[in-house]
Amino acid sequence: MTLLHYLTVSGILFVIGLFGALTRRNTIGILMSIELMFNAANLNLIAFNRFLYPERLDGNVITLFIIGVAAAEAVVGLALVVTIYRNLNTIYSEDFNLLKG
Amino acid sequence: MLEHAYLIPIIPFVTSLVILLGGKEGKDSKMPYLGIAAMGWCFLQSSVLFFRALSGRMPLEAGKEFFLHQRFPWLEWGENLRINVGVLVDGPAVTLLFVVTLVSLLVQIYSLGYMHDDKRKKRYYAYLSFFTASMLGLVIASSIFILFACWELVGVSSYLLIGFWFEKPGPAYASKKAFITTKLADCGFYVGLLILFCYAGTFDLVSLKSYIAQGLLPVEVAKAVGIGFLIGAIGKSAQIPLFIWLPDAMEGPTPVSALIHAATMVVAGIYLVARTYFIFTAAPTTMGAVAWVGLFTAFFAATMAITAYDIKKVLAYSTVSQLGYMMLGLGVYGYTAALFHLTTHAFFKALLFLGAGSVIHAVHTNDMREMGGLYKRMPTTAATVGIATLTIAGLPLLSGWWSKEAILHDVYAVSPGMWVVAVFTAGLTAFYMSRMYVLTFLGAPRNEEKHSHAHESPLTMKIPLWTLAVLSLFAGGILHYNGLFEHLVHFKLPEGSHGSHHAPAYLLPGAAIFVFAVGVGLAYKLYSGSLETAQQLRGKLSIAAETLEQRYYFDDFFLGLVKLSDKLATACYWIDSRIIDAIFIDGWALVLRALAAVNDFIDSFIVDGAVDGVGTITQDAGWGLRKLVRGQVQEYLLYVSLAVAVFATFMLSR
Amino acid sequence: MEHIVFYSLSSVALISALGVVLMRNVLHCALMLGLSLMAVAGLFGSLGADFLFAGQIVVYVTGVAVLVLFVVMLAGRESELNSPQTNDKWPLALVIGAITFGGFWRFFGAYADTYATTDAEPTTRGIGILLLSDYALPFELISLILIAALIGAIHFSRVEESQ
Repeated sequence: MTLLHYLTVSGILFVIGLFGALTRRNTIGILMSIELMFNAANLNLIAFNRFLYPERLDGNVITLFIIGVAAAEAVVGLALVVTIYRNLNTIYSEDFNLLKG
Repeated sequence: MLEHAYLIPIIPFVTSLVILLGGKEGKDSKMPYLGIAAMGWCFLQSSVLFFRALSGRMPLEAGKEFFLHQRFPWLEWGENLRINVGVLVDGPAVTLLFVVTLVSLLVQIYSLGYMHDDKRKKRYYAYLSFFTASMLGLVIASSIFILFACWELVGVSSYLLIGFWFEKPGPAYASKKAFITTKLADCGFYVGLLILFCYAGTFDLVSLKSYIAQGLLPVEVAKAVGIGFLIGAIGKSAQIPLFIWLPDAMEGPTPVSALIHAATMVVAGIYLVARTYFIFTAAPTTMGAVAWVGLFTAFFAATMAITAYDIKKVLAYSTVSQLGYMMLGLGVYGYTAALFHLTTHAFFKALLFLGAGSVIHAVHTNDMREMGGLYKRMPTTAATVGIATLTIAGLPLLSGWWSKEAILHDVYAVSPGMWVVAVFTAGLTAFYMSRMYVLTFLGAPRNEEKHSHAHESPLTMKIPLWTLAVLSLFAGGILHYNGLFEHLVHFKLPEGSHGSHHAPAYLLPGAAIFVFAVGVGLAYKLYSGSLETAQQLRGKLSIAAETLEQRYYFDDFFLGLVKLSDKLATACYWIDSRIIDAIFIDGWALVLRALAAVNDFIDSFIVDGAVDGVGTITQDAGWGLRKLVRGQVQEYLLYVSLAVAVFATFMLSR
Repeated sequence: MEHIVFYSLSSVALISALGVVLMRNVLHCALMLGLSLMAVAGLFGSLGADFLFAGQIVVYVTGVAVLVLFVVMLAGRESELNSPQTNDKWPLALVIGAITFGGFWRFFGAYADTYATTDAEPTTRGIGILLLSDYALPFELISLILIAALIGAIHFSRVEESQ
């Protein structure tokens, strides 16, 4: 297994996440897609750490931090979704058009 | 004394301010005594200067023709415009100082009696002091600029004094007329002054004299300056054609007439010509103009005096005529004679005016037809006025005789033709003065009521009368004796200017005595009885008399001039409104409106169209772009991702 | 063996990720997300990151994915099953994805011959030492962020008393 394999998987995963984030109407779906993109980034970090600098662990630590931030993001994001659903009675992002000029 | 000559104008000026601002107004005001005291000091100083100069005990400045020339810088604007204030004391100035202060002092004393009941005594004396200060400043000024300033001050104060009884329409009108007429003439003076300054670059009389003596001033310029100054003098000294203000100015208080219209203000014009004589002699044409103006004035004013019945008007015409004599004298290089006549005339004309004032004070009328036989009631006045009448008429050996004879002598030397007119005028003078005297004092009273109320004037009025009477009798002879006055004036005739005509020794005095006798005799014969003879004569010569009474229609001429200019202005207005406005302005406006319409079209359809087009395009583009931005966060993210993807890919792949 | 593990895990991760993005039912999506995260955790394990393998499962699969499931059940509706769950911009999104992946591929090509030269070692001890030495400050900051997120989530989602 070369580094290329892992990078390819992480790249595809990222693109899938990006596609989901751009196309899902459901706000929860968007959040889940973003989680996928986080995972792609994490996989990338771990792979580089393993193949290029195996004697160090910085990639792992940063991945850990990203997991923490992602968890926080998920918590806040989902709380927002719940609030929005409560107020607007919808979770479809195209209905959130208060910014419309 | 001499080096403090500047005090002579300054003291009355300060006094006038003190009188005007201090003390209480009213009949009992004590301010007149202050004015008299100040004028007494000035007279004292002036007479000391005068007599010392006359007796030759006051030395001339080394190599110069004047006693004192003080200058102080006053205004300095840059290199070229420097005006000095200072005094120039020479023979004529000393003489004038003496005359002006003397007459002013006597008039102020006389006014104590004459203005006894007036409510505005304080103001009257303030004006008198102010006028005298202006006149003395004019006399003593070393710079023509200061002279001009004082000249205008004299005009202002004469305006104030003539219109002293401003609540009456007559004096108010007369003061206005005097002011405007003299101002008109002052324009000439002013223009001449500016021309002169442009060439010479100085206002100082001494510098100007040496400048012209070096021949630096072109003759044509000297001519222009001389004519300008002559116009100023014509206005101030009431020469033809601008004499019209002087008869009307008789509306003022009679002592004022004595002061202003006999001794001081009206001789300012003569004095101006005398003071700037070097300019006139530099341009002989102007000398001719001066002579002719003087001759005409002397003659026509004398004829006008013949028909007048207002005692003060007679004196006014007489003054104009005598001023014409002085002008004539100046015009024929009779500088000394003119100044001599100025001096003697000041004495006897002031005396005549004060005497007339005394008469008016007694009978409360100016009309000589209401008088007659007053010598019984007013012996002092009758005697003194009689002396003055004989003096002005030219009784040999009195003051007027000497000075008039001197002028006639100079006139004959230049032109015997002029001399004939001048002698004839002297005869007319004798005639109308005698007529006035006869009508007023001799004969039978024509108005018994006024006659019975008439009384002799108080002592304050008698003293000036007697003083002036004595001077009228003897001043001429004394000054003429041994060439005293000639020596004082110190006039050197320009080369080759003296006339070539020499009269037989007996001709001049003989002719003068002859016309005097004829004039006096004729007047006595015509007017000593009843007025009927005179009235019949007037009926026969009604056209001539009418002409004379209407002052040769000079007033009508000027009024006509005014009316003509009014008509001209109306015509100009018509042309302006109907032609210029209608065609040029309104037509132009139409053109402009058409142009404006085109402009409006271009502006609104093309320029505005372009501007609005830009706006519309922007707006439409905005509306179009607005559809892209629908408030959809996800779409924003889409575009951001697209941009990031594209840019990052291309930039990082370098 | 290594290949089998990698390819199976990778295919599970990618297919379930596609499921997350494309499936219509959000509940299914959430379940697919859990599967995908688990597969990625497996990939972490195959890369020798044992601590992260555990952390991924603990935090993501049992934390985030379950949380998402809760929310889906809170905010979901029956009608959603009948409406498309992707918007009409998906072709453009596809293009963006292709460009992005093209960009990635240009760089990834350089690592075609990079192999792991050493054996994988346990990482837990090293990570613990790093977290308490070099990364002590970020570690503390992360804890602050988590508390802030906790408070924020409570603030957003709580029901106002007045309402």
